[in-house]
Amino acid sequence: MTNFAAGIFHGPESALAAAGTLKGAGYTTPELMSPVPIEGVEEVLGEKKSVIKTFTLMGGILGGTFGFLLAAGTAVLYLHPTGGRPIITIPPFLIITYEMTILFGILFTVLGFFISARLPVIRERVYLPESAVDKFVVTVACADDEHFKRAEAILRDAGAEQVREVTEEA
Amino acid sequence: MPEAKELQYADIHRDVVRSIVETGPKYYITLGTAIFVTLLCFFFPWFYQLYYGIGAAGLNHPQVWGTYLASFIFWIGLSHSGTLLSCVLHLTNSSWRKAMYRSAEAMTLFSLVVAFTFVMVHLGRPWFIHWSLPYPNQMEMWPNFRSPLLFDVMAITTYLTGSAIFIYMGSIPDFAAVRDRTIGWRNTMYTLLSLGWRGTDREWHRLHWAYTFLAVLIIPLAVSVHSIVSWDFALSIVPALHQTIFAPYFVVGAIYSGTAGIVTVMFILRKYMDFGQYITKVHFDNLGKLLLVLSLIWTYINMVELFTGWYSGASTEHEALQYKLFGYYAPLYWEMILFCAVAPLLCISKRFRTSFVPMLILSIAVNIGMYTERFLIVGTSLSRQYLPDAWGLYVPSLVELSIILGSFALFSTFFLIFVKIFPSVSMYEVKETMSTPKTEPEAPPEGNPA
Repeated sequence: MTNFAAGIFHGPESALAAAGTLKGAGYTTPELMSPVPIEGVEEVLGEKKSVIKTFTLMGGILGGTFGFLLAAGTAVLYLHPTGGRPIITIPPFLIITYEMTILFGILFTVLGFFISARLPVIRERVYLPESAVDKFVVTVACADDEHFKRAEAILRDAGAEQVREVTEEA
Repeated sequence: MPEAKELQYADIHRDVVRSIVETGPKYYITLGTAIFVTLLCFFFPWFYQLYYGIGAAGLNHPQVWGTYLASFIFWIGLSHSGTLLSCVLHLTNSSWRKAMYRSAEAMTLFSLVVAFTFVMVHLGRPWFIHWSLPYPNQMEMWPNFRSPLLFDVMAITTYLTGSAIFIYMGSIPDFAAVRDRTIGWRNTMYTLLSLGWRGTDREWHRLHWAYTFLAVLIIPLAVSVHSIVSWDFALSIVPALHQTIFAPYFVVGAIYSGTAGIVTVMFILRKYMDFGQYITKVHFDNLGKLLLVLSLIWTYINMVELFTGWYSGASTEHEALQYKLFGYYAPLYWEMILFCAVAPLLCISKRFRTSFVPMLILSIAVNIGMYTERFLIVGTSLSRQYLPDAWGLYVPSLVELSIILGSFALFSTFFLIFVKIFPSVSMYEVKETMSTPKTEPEAPPEGNPA
């Protein structure tokens, strides 16, 4: 069981400033929840890297290979000679390769998104429904009461309308 | 005059959730009518055709392709502006896209489904549709991947999958927002659809990149889909079809009719879903400019098609040209030119572009013209091939006409169900275009004890 301090803010600037101060004060990286993507998060909380592009690339390569092997392999399995032309005909098979490159690229991008965004969620996590409408929420894990009080003070100083203590089941 | 109240985040939230959960009798009457017309005009004639055979459709030698394939091209074309336009506008960061793209993408998805049903209707024995898929079977036969029909199977399957994923990914944050405001079965449905989305900085970052990659992948895919549909015809050696211009011709035509389709759908959403605050004159103005540019490109390609036919010097091409411009179907050709090349020139006027009803009428006219174009491609070519003894006329049967009408009802049924499940305006992206909530609540005026 982990306790969190959750500060509810009216605007993104103050929420971002609070998150930056919390990080500077030695807390584990705070999490921002917002109804829209916030600009400038990376400058405050550090650069984010995702594996999505690697997944897209791998999907594309795998799909292209699969597409060509599918077209060429089935042509070899069921021989259908036409006017002495080669069995493995490159131009039409490239179209199948192209389509499969894109299909697998798309499917792997989605897979990469789910893995890196940690979706779908399989256990309850800290969430305040206000953040889906018009509030900006900063949450930070607190080891004990003293930690919580210090975090609460930082959040209030930054302009939080409310600070709540929320618990996440392990 | 009192100033209009500035829209706040909570307003868009309330309006969109209301459009989903509040359903009046008008909606049920419309949905009931759409379902009734679908059953009566689409499924009943189709079953009739299955029972009596494909001859009920009026398809016969030499005209073995008819309105079913014309409708297939039309619906694939209509699907093109939704996801394609949305992807292009996303990558170019055009903010006017944000209020309308969700419905446009839905249009893509449902148009593709309707297009697929036309493939089924066109097949004499649709229960053998799985023969077009590559799977090991006891006959040891594999599909011929050199055939454009197989290109079609692969391209359309990919496009359908890509479009469905694209609209779903973009909707996840909105599903989460609706989840928190609903109860009962709706809450369960949105909980499952939102996958536990919380709107954290990590989730937004990942969504941005995944969405951008999908957009980059879908643009060349959409272009390939209609190019491939064009090769169904252009790779044959039928006069007037065997042309290299066909791929760009089909792609431009598809985006053109799709854009007109978006104008129609936007008008209906604005009027009947009460989204006047979000779908504004700016959207119609921009869509009007796009229609104008596309109509000019489309007209240019038509002129090129005529010129290359004439310049070829081949008697068969000349005959096909003559037949198209002055033959039995010539009135349809000139109707197409009027609706798709002349009428859209009205979009030069800003006053016209920002008038809702005239834009609606134009969008419908363009799509009538574009349907005619597809009919002419299919209808005037096979009926006039090389040998005069193989010439023939083709007039669609009542079964075909009924199924065409029913397909619009089928599309409407899908769309009416969509607007009650998906937030039809993207909440989070419209919020992005608004000014963010003020950092501090407004202080009471000085001297006021409150």
